[in-house]
Amino acid sequence: MSKIKNKMLKIWKVIKDFSILGKLSLVMLVLVILMAIFATSLSVYPYDFSSGDALMAPGNGHFLGTDDLGIDLWAQICYGARISLLIGFGTAILAALGGGMIGVFSGYVGGVPDKIIMRIIDIIMVIPDFPLMVLLAALLGPSLLNVVIVLALLSWVTPARIVRSQVMMLKEQTYIKVAETYGASNWYLIWRHFLPAVFPILAVNIIRLTGRAIVSEAGLSFLGLGDPTSKSWGLIIHYATSFPGIYYTNFWKWWLLYPWLILTLVVMSLAFLSRELERVMDPRLRIRA
Amino acid sequence: MKHNRIMKLFEYGLTIWIIITLNFLLPRLLPGDPFLLLSSDNAENEEIVMTQEQRDYYESYYGLDKSMGEQYVTYIGQLIHGDLGYSIYYKVPVSQIILGRLGWTAFMVVSALAVSTGIGVLLGSVSAWYREKWPDKLLFFQMILLSEIPVFLIGLMILFVFSAWLRIFPLSGAMTPFEDYTSWWDQLSDILNHAFLPIMVLSISQMGGIYLLVRNSMTTVLQKDYLRTAKAKGLSQKRVIFHHALRNALLPVVTRIFLSLGALVGGAILVENVFAYPGLGRLMRECIQVHDYQVVQGIFLVVTIFVLLANFLADTVYKLLDPRVNDSGKV
Repeated sequence: MSKIKNKMLKIWKVIKDFSILGKLSLVMLVLVILMAIFATSLSVYPYDFSSGDALMAPGNGHFLGTDDLGIDLWAQICYGARISLLIGFGTAILAALGGGMIGVFSGYVGGVPDKIIMRIIDIIMVIPDFPLMVLLAALLGPSLLNVVIVLALLSWVTPARIVRSQVMMLKEQTYIKVAETYGASNWYLIWRHFLPAVFPILAVNIIRLTGRAIVSEAGLSFLGLGDPTSKSWGLIIHYATSFPGIYYTNFWKWWLLYPWLILTLVVMSLAFLSRELERVMDPRLRIRA
Repeated sequence: MKHNRIMKLFEYGLTIWIIITLNFLLPRLLPGDPFLLLSSDNAENEEIVMTQEQRDYYESYYGLDKSMGEQYVTYIGQLIHGDLGYSIYYKVPVSQIILGRLGWTAFMVVSALAVSTGIGVLLGSVSAWYREKWPDKLLFFQMILLSEIPVFLIGLMILFVFSAWLRIFPLSGAMTPFEDYTSWWDQLSDILNHAFLPIMVLSISQMGGIYLLVRNSMTTVLQKDYLRTAKAKGLSQKRVIFHHALRNALLPVVTRIFLSLGALVGGAILVENVFAYPGLGRLMRECIQVHDYQVVQGIFLVVTIFVLLANFLADTVYKLLDPRVNDSGKV
């Protein structure tokens, strides 16, 4: 119990160090996560079914208005939070785990496997990633899982590089050498020493990757490559921009503006939060306890 | 020295080969029936059931009955001749469509590269000169903010404000349709009027990175002894900044410009769709909607090879500009 309390206090201390912008970002993200969890009870109207006239302006019960099928926009945005966050976190965790493993392996084993992995990383880094994402998503077909796989395939490179350089530094440390002479197996070293040591950096990277993934998914959905059965924020934007002549009408002022706003706020919050954490965790600023 | 240059060339060659092979393998290995796509080319997605005879006929017509190895050789041979396949929707060779649209994208990307570099270098120098004073702090904050907003969200915002709300700029396209231009100047100004917002959006998205780089590199240079000497000699501030500091600080910027091309192309695909600009990105979306994946693959191939060439050029140019750079990669 006191252990949990200690952890909480530690987290609180980190948060207290945040700038105003960092705190605001955190609040924003917590709100959106709550929105995603309680999506179904936050809105009186269904997210997938017509509940009013088409293209109603905000007001009259639909407080963000309705789209061209008369579906409540607030309900869609609440439900879209689920999809967008799911894709974001799913991709980030998958990429960080995969990339982290590859990084540990590459850094610890070294030699020829390391060289091969580094060449592969070099090659992936020079390929422009968005066109490749579009091609893969188009060929794989639209589904939530496919989008996550495509995004994760193209974003494991950064965590792998970060972890690799950390592990290369760590493996020269005396305590690792000692553990090795006591006969610690590779798995033991990875689980007990390397992963705990690289975890904080990986965690910050996960936040950054989440933001990237949400943006990339929105981009793919915007191009019409999203999963039509699960409407993310990007897909709402896609449908709105596909509406002929939407800018000549007033409809864009809610149908397009609100999904755009929430997407921008969330992505910015994630970016600023990872910036804050990077600053707080910077070893040059951190005081060793 | 020479050995390393050849290694680099080999590495780029390898990357291009992997891209081409990937492009060949992906549609053949992934699940999906090529004839399902072929038969749904009339956008209504109506599926035509084929008899076995028809299937066999089409398989041999497209060479799909041959072994993978044979198909691969044919594919490479076609690529060397510039043949990217045939569009099932537009009913013309893919290379022809891409050539028709390439100009618009290239125009946009190159202009954005120039604008973002110009403004980024200028603001970065200002920031470094006034380091830790208010102009620096203000600029730094704004640039971080701008560099964190994804490019297509900036695009939508600018479109909302300048085109949909204030109606200062046209909403879409690259030229006014059905316009009779009285002079070339009319035509040019119409094109620039349409291109202004997309180029601005792309530039904004790249500016932050260049600004931060220049600011850093300029700050380092400004602390050098030769700068103090230049100031002590009583040279004018302008001469110190442009002649002594900037020339030395710009070296890392050169590579950065070429390397940002990949991100710019990705951004251009999205921005073109925001502004309905008729480049390759727009073409990509159109072809996705009608399942014309031959064209999507062609665009991917062309774009990637251009970006790789630019990266290779960046490596070479950097070495030419800075004799201090040796091949171990240290500056």
